[in-house]
Amino acid sequence: MRQEGWIRPYFRTYVRRFLVIIALGILTVCCACLLMFTSGYLISKSALRPENILMVYVPIVLVRTFGISRAALHYVERLASHDMVLRILSQMRIRLYHLLEPQALFISSRFRTGDMLSMLSEDIEYLQNVYLRTVFPSIVALVISGLVIAGLDSFDVSFALLMALYLFVLVCILPAVSLWLTKKRTKQLKHKRNRLYTKLTDSILGMSDWMISGRASQFIRTYETDEQAAMDVERSMHRWASLRSFIAQCVVGVIVVSIVYWAGHQYADRHIESVMIAAFVLIVFPLMDAFVPMSEAIERIPHYQDSLNRLRTMDDAARQETIEDAYTEQIKDRSNIHIHLENVSYAYSDAAEPVLEDISLDIPQGKKIMIIGRSGAGKSTLLKCIQGAIPPSKGKVTMNGIDTHALVIQIPQIISVLNQKPHLFDTTVSNNIRLGKRSASDDEIRRAAEQVRLERLIATLPEGYKTPMHEAGQRFSGGERQRVALARILLQDTPVVILDEPTVGLDPRTEHELLATIIQTLAGKSLIWVTHHLAFAEHMDEIIFLEKGRIVMQGSHLELMKREPRYRRLYELDHPNFITG
Amino acid sequence: MGRNLLRYKGSKTVMLSIGCLTLIQSAAIVMQAKWLAEVISALFAGELLNEQFTDIMLFLLAFLLRHGTALLQQRIAYRFAEKTGESMRKGLINQLFTLGPIFARQQGAGSLVTLVREGVLQFRTFLELFLPRMMGTAITPVLILIYIYMQDVWSGIILTVTMPILIIFMILIGLAARRQMERQRTSYQVLSNHFVDSLRGLETLKFLGQSRAHSETIGRVSDKYRSATMRTLRVAFLSSFALDFFTMLSVATVAVSLGLRLVEGNMVLVTALTVLILAPEYFLPVRMVGADYHATLNGKEAGEAIQSIIDQPSVDMEPSDHVPRPFWTKDSTLQLSHIHLQREEDGTMSLDDVSIQLHGIQKVGIIGESGAGKSSLIDVLAGFFHPTSGTIKVDGIEVSSLANEWWQEQVTYIPQHPYIFGGSLADNVRFYAPEASMGDVKEAVHRAGLSDLAEKLPNGYDEIIGNGGRQLSGGQEQRVALARAFLCRRPIILLDEPTAHLDIETETELKETMLSLFEDKLVLLATHRLHWMTDMDYIIVMDQGKVAESGTHEDLLARKGAYYKMIHSGLGGA
Repeated sequence: MRQEGWIRPYFRTYVRRFLVIIALGILTVCCACLLMFTSGYLISKSALRPENILMVYVPIVLVRTFGISRAALHYVERLASHDMVLRILSQMRIRLYHLLEPQALFISSRFRTGDMLSMLSEDIEYLQNVYLRTVFPSIVALVISGLVIAGLDSFDVSFALLMALYLFVLVCILPAVSLWLTKKRTKQLKHKRNRLYTKLTDSILGMSDWMISGRASQFIRTYETDEQAAMDVERSMHRWASLRSFIAQCVVGVIVVSIVYWAGHQYADRHIESVMIAAFVLIVFPLMDAFVPMSEAIERIPHYQDSLNRLRTMDDAARQETIEDAYTEQIKDRSNIHIHLENVSYAYSDAAEPVLEDISLDIPQGKKIMIIGRSGAGKSTLLKCIQGAIPPSKGKVTMNGIDTHALVIQIPQIISVLNQKPHLFDTTVSNNIRLGKRSASDDEIRRAAEQVRLERLIATLPEGYKTPMHEAGQRFSGGERQRVALARILLQDTPVVILDEPTVGLDPRTEHELLATIIQTLAGKSLIWVTHHLAFAEHMDEIIFLEKGRIVMQGSHLELMKREPRYRRLYELDHPNFITG
Repeated sequence: MGRNLLRYKGSKTVMLSIGCLTLIQSAAIVMQAKWLAEVISALFAGELLNEQFTDIMLFLLAFLLRHGTALLQQRIAYRFAEKTGESMRKGLINQLFTLGPIFARQQGAGSLVTLVREGVLQFRTFLELFLPRMMGTAITPVLILIYIYMQDVWSGIILTVTMPILIIFMILIGLAARRQMERQRTSYQVLSNHFVDSLRGLETLKFLGQSRAHSETIGRVSDKYRSATMRTLRVAFLSSFALDFFTMLSVATVAVSLGLRLVEGNMVLVTALTVLILAPEYFLPVRMVGADYHATLNGKEAGEAIQSIIDQPSVDMEPSDHVPRPFWTKDSTLQLSHIHLQREEDGTMSLDDVSIQLHGIQKVGIIGESGAGKSSLIDVLAGFFHPTSGTIKVDGIEVSSLANEWWQEQVTYIPQHPYIFGGSLADNVRFYAPEASMGDVKEAVHRAGLSDLAEKLPNGYDEIIGNGGRQLSGGQEQRVALARAFLCRRPIILLDEPTAHLDIETETELKETMLSLFEDKLVLLATHRLHWMTDMDYIIVMDQGKVAESGTHEDLLARKGAYYKMIHSGLGGA
């Protein structure tokens, strides 16, 4: 039932539009049929050479009307259906966003495989096809076949039954067989294609290894073998598709012949007029255009499965989230924040080894601490505890005496974060900076840009502050992107700033300059800086070494230099002029 | 479009057979109409049903023949598209490996993978649709029209006149739609990317305290996106509206004109019916082209993109047979003279007149700021790049580049982020030496300092790592690369910033392992971490693509040049 959660509710939301679209679809088919019907009638009637031209005047007008209406109705129907689907898309987006927003800080650690986020976004766009390509055409085909059978029923019950049988083949049996035949193959093909995709990505990202190892040709061979296997499945699916449409046409042929026989009999028995023979026969061709695509519409169903499954996983993940709104503590005076960690431990579950163990820290307003440790030492967990995103398993994390986990909603006003890859949004440069403070005036933005030394660069952009980021982004180096993010943080103006390895990947000079700007512009704020080496350690009040979740060294630069030979050795590695003297 | 079509293997045969099938099909369409019209008019005239049996069967035969030839056409076109797509893909993959990892990095791995997978599929769709559609539009309407002229000139004239009008309108509206798209292209792109951009930046929004309010923005932007899309669609759908409109109008006009002439007695029913049945068929091929237009256009563009990569000038790997194969020993020499490297035309020189001489067993540090040419030098030495000019001599024998199998077989290359393949730990270590025994693998893992990890993993050496498996830390990835190097025992090692992203303690530990790997080998280490330099035998200082100075650590310090300045600027650490 949950699976329908992403498809069905939107019919209810847009029930009127939905009905209008279906009605338009039906009318389009009707007009096409009536055009041929009246044309057949008109010609036959004319062939009887009526005395008065007025006898065929009505059919003449009708033929023209139906011809024009069909085109117009089809046009309107396509527009209306796309409009509805885009409305649904918008709703789905908001819904997905609401699912993801509470887990924002955990997304990168939870969904490591591939680019989950853009996949989800594509899934939603793909689901438009459920409506456009499967639901709408199927319903139209079903309703039309109902109408046809009901219409014939009033002429001749037994023939109506025969037609019902034919249409049953076209609208039910053929699609069902098609679905049954292709379902497994669709899955196989998808699986094979995914494997090819991973394999190829692996090979392109690891190309230097393939080349240097001399195994490139070996790779190409195995890859081609896999491609062949996928192509075999594709071919068999294509063979079926072409055969299926031929079968459908055969049915259509039989229907035409049956209609001819029936109309002939009806006329022979004088149940219908002679002029109706052509009318009835000609109607078949446009009518069948509504039924033949049905198989393809149904065959698509397995294609939606993966997208629906992924979205369903998100539903489940969101259900496990705790509800943040329960925590509504507030700190009134945000100018002076005192962060205090007391014997904090954290483990993901009771059984698991603790990621953090017995951490105590005192960070009064304005203190600058540096946290250093190798990957997996617990640095990011420690940051999440300080941000109140996760409550410690043991011990306490407080701000001015209040539990940080209870402050979680206010945290963005207290702590800002500059991390390794701050996201620059695809909007203008000034809007990107303004994200720090929505109400910021242009002057404030300019001042922030000046402080982070971006004003000269921005002046060289084609439209200055109004330059879209996707244009400017190409001109922005890694260091400059960090500066944009820093300007944002200056506007956010929080008493505490977390720096989460903001200089990884920058070359030494850029790093040095960026750090100098950071230290200078963030004077007076508390700094919690996670880093991987000791540049600028002298500027910090306290340096903490984390190892396997514990603090193994703690103290100021001078203290550590005096006390810890290990620290001294590391510092010298970073500052080789010590070696040479 | 499709001028290149004749270039593909077997395209002439395929065109010929599809052409013949189209001829048969067109004839079948005409006959199907003729016999159906005859049956109807006979019945109309009051003839008995039983007498019509032959004609009805003939109609059915023509009808089935028509769809049967369509089936054959589809299959032939499919097989041709499949074969051509396959050879295109093979060419593309071979070319990618010839152009090397640098090209792949510039283009972006993601877009190349998409091109190989989706691009080839789209191109196949193009081929599959294009040939039958081209033949269909070229042959069927003409044949039908000729037949109609033979039956009734007036209807022929109506249909002849409508076709160009229809095509002109289609083109005009198509152009208008494109202009409209162009006009709002940038704003449209921003709107359509907005959602995925928001999801990607969700963490940042959360940090900024904007994430909750942002859901309203998403709703608002989605609505804007909808109205922008609808604006475009209103015009874009007009072209198929025009197709429908003129087709229907033309069919209606033909019907009315036939009717009027029937009334006047200048026409017989059977002719009128034939023409009436044929009129929609006359427009059908053009309408199909219109319906498939976008699919064929995308496929055509994908094909062009693939072809442009295949056509990129690339110097093929020199066949190993024609060059001497000196194996690197302690007496070998490598001499680079006046090497220039320009990565892109009109770009700046990445290497500008670089001359260096290396010999035997030596540890060489390459140092300089980012952009100084360290990586370019390593790339040339690894054979990823052909130098734009200059000469390379190995043991005094000139070679045009190092993109040779005999050279690369002697080289181990370790980048900043060694790539971990989706596979077991053992297979990853064994990558350069797939035949290596498990004992050797364990030995290499031990020497690379990975034994602890291997023991802790639930499946030991069979644990799947990399894509789709367990993620390793930067230090562990680097150790996997070292284990590969230990295992394959090649005499030359090239390293490009192997430790820049690691924390200082991990780097210290790795350094010990690396130094043990460097023994008895020719090592070139590009880095900006100065502490490595005291362990190097020879140092090359790069600046703006040139060799600023070179010599031993002591020499360079004594010279008080660029190297001395670098060490004392206090930047060395970062």
